[in-house]
Amino acid sequence: MSKYMYIEALRMALQEEMRRDKNVFVMGEDITRYGFGANRGLVDEFGPERVRNTPISEGAIIGSAVGAALRGMRPVAEIMFVDFIMIGMDQIVNQAAKMSYLSNGELSVPMVIRAPEGSEWFGGGAQHSQTLHSIFMNIPGIKLVIPSNPYDAKGLLKSAIRDDNPVLFFEHKQLYTQKGEVPEDDYTIPLGKASIKKEGTDITVVATSWMVKHSLEAAEELKDKISIEVIDPRTLVPLDKNTIIDSVKKTGKLLVVDESPINGGVQGEIVSAVLEESFWNMEFPPKRLGSLNTPIPFSGSLEKEVIPTKEKIKKEILNICSS
Amino acid sequence: MAINKEQKIRMLKTMSKIRIFEDMLQKIYRDGKLDGHLHTSHGQEAIAAGVMEALSEKDIIFSNHRGHAHFLARGTSPRRIFAECYGKVTGTNKGRSGSMYLVDTKRGMPVASGIVGGNICVATGSALASSIKKDNAVTISFFGDGATNIGFFHESLNMASLWNLPIIYICENNQYGEATKREEHQKIKRISDRASAYSMPGITVDGTDVLKVYKSIKDIVDKARKEGGPTLVEYVVYRLRGHSAGDVGPYRPKKEEEEWNEKHDPIRKYKEELIKQKVLDNPEIEKIEDGLQKEIEEAVSFALGSGDPLAETVSKYVYSEDENNE
Repeated sequence: MSKYMYIEALRMALQEEMRRDKNVFVMGEDITRYGFGANRGLVDEFGPERVRNTPISEGAIIGSAVGAALRGMRPVAEIMFVDFIMIGMDQIVNQAAKMSYLSNGELSVPMVIRAPEGSEWFGGGAQHSQTLHSIFMNIPGIKLVIPSNPYDAKGLLKSAIRDDNPVLFFEHKQLYTQKGEVPEDDYTIPLGKASIKKEGTDITVVATSWMVKHSLEAAEELKDKISIEVIDPRTLVPLDKNTIIDSVKKTGKLLVVDESPINGGVQGEIVSAVLEESFWNMEFPPKRLGSLNTPIPFSGSLEKEVIPTKEKIKKEILNICSS
Repeated sequence: MAINKEQKIRMLKTMSKIRIFEDMLQKIYRDGKLDGHLHTSHGQEAIAAGVMEALSEKDIIFSNHRGHAHFLARGTSPRRIFAECYGKVTGTNKGRSGSMYLVDTKRGMPVASGIVGGNICVATGSALASSIKKDNAVTISFFGDGATNIGFFHESLNMASLWNLPIIYICENNQYGEATKREEHQKIKRISDRASAYSMPGITVDGTDVLKVYKSIKDIVDKARKEGGPTLVEYVVYRLRGHSAGDVGPYRPKKEEEEWNEKHDPIRKYKEELIKQKVLDNPEIEKIEDGLQKEIEEAVSFALGSGDPLAETVSKYVYSEDENNE
């Protein structure tokens, strides 16, 4: 098996799915010529009809993807930065998410919105570095995928494209250049199945997206003292609660690390979902780690104060496990 | 453009059915026996009737919160719409919508948008699908004058023009965005003038004259089907009733309302025209209206006699595949 970058794994998934199903097409701003490049080169094989550069119109990009999906296409819309998704929010929340329910399943919206999110000295500042996925966990009718490595990215994107629901697929910018083994053949990873990235017995660390790497490094550095289990939910909707609950019943301790701001965030949702089932197994109060409730500042020295880092994760683990 | 007798009578029946349906709906609502947000199309019936007459079965229509007329004109049974307004399991959406988000997939009508301007981008995507699939379907997006101030209007018309999409944007300019007179929410005189900003054709037509509506749209539909490309069509009408069923419109000058009701009621005008053209006489029209009245009364009975949706179905189809429901 060869190693590929995360961005290349995404491109492989898009290419394979476009070959597999003529209804799959991609669109977004400057996707053939600029930006992070997941769609780069696809136009040569599939032509401009199926690889569409769009005007800077996030409402129309998302909304027209909804409409095309209603008519049997499988659009994969790219939003250049997740921050820009807010412009098309109505089309996701009021249109895409409601079609199946309001039509009693007669209509479906098989679309994917891909968008880069997250920070860590990308230098984007307050409107180009946010982690917004928590917001979407509160909207029934959409699925939410946040892969943490190239292998998962390819398998999950293929599943997302084949899924009959609107799927938000958020990719951490830091991950794009990360390399990992990716099979060149067709494989999918089901939405709603967590992955135990490292087994352990002392504490369960649930980490998402870019935070998986930090958590695995923290686990490695603390391995002589603490046996850490690292679980990546991979999809937040549907959320594989059982894998996490089983782990917590074993370890009795829980830390949830996600780059979203803490208030109303994914971290709290996971903690409470787990506690409802495993409260009496807990040996120590669960802990949430996320971004401060602060916009992302530009300066690197400020930014690292806001977002979770490996050092912060280690500190939390030590705090929980040394009590 | 020749319009045959059968078409002329069909359009009258459609318009009258809409009026009788909505009169009944409004009455029941005002008697306090119906819930929800009901937006009627009094004064706008000729648009729905004329446009639908020009469409083919394969065409796709995106309706909005003021949508009963569109669905009735397309052939959705009044029984199912009434049942939906009562929240019954026999309704178009099995009680999940009420009046605002009707659906009829068998007639090419996806879920209507209750968000002003919300369907404009989605309809544009439907036309994009037709453009890629080359299926010769034309997509219609219905919205009001208020929606032309929403950003999605601009984004969509630009995109449809750029990509030559087979879509017709139909603005039912009823001269009020909720309670705000059009002159107070936009400065342009003709909404169709905005089409020139997107290098697309734009026309303004009297929307109270069903024959004019049909004639104006027929060629545009045919052109969109053959050559692709969007058009912005503005039909000028007057909302003869309030914004919603409970609204008696105290913000509108009485004189203005009276004048439009007396001079521009599309149904009264059309009946006079049909009599003048000797297509129908008064007794024949009365007979048609009596039949429709009975049909609507029967629809109400059907709705009232229908069951409520079952509680255990409440979370079905939140997601397309049931087993993945969270």
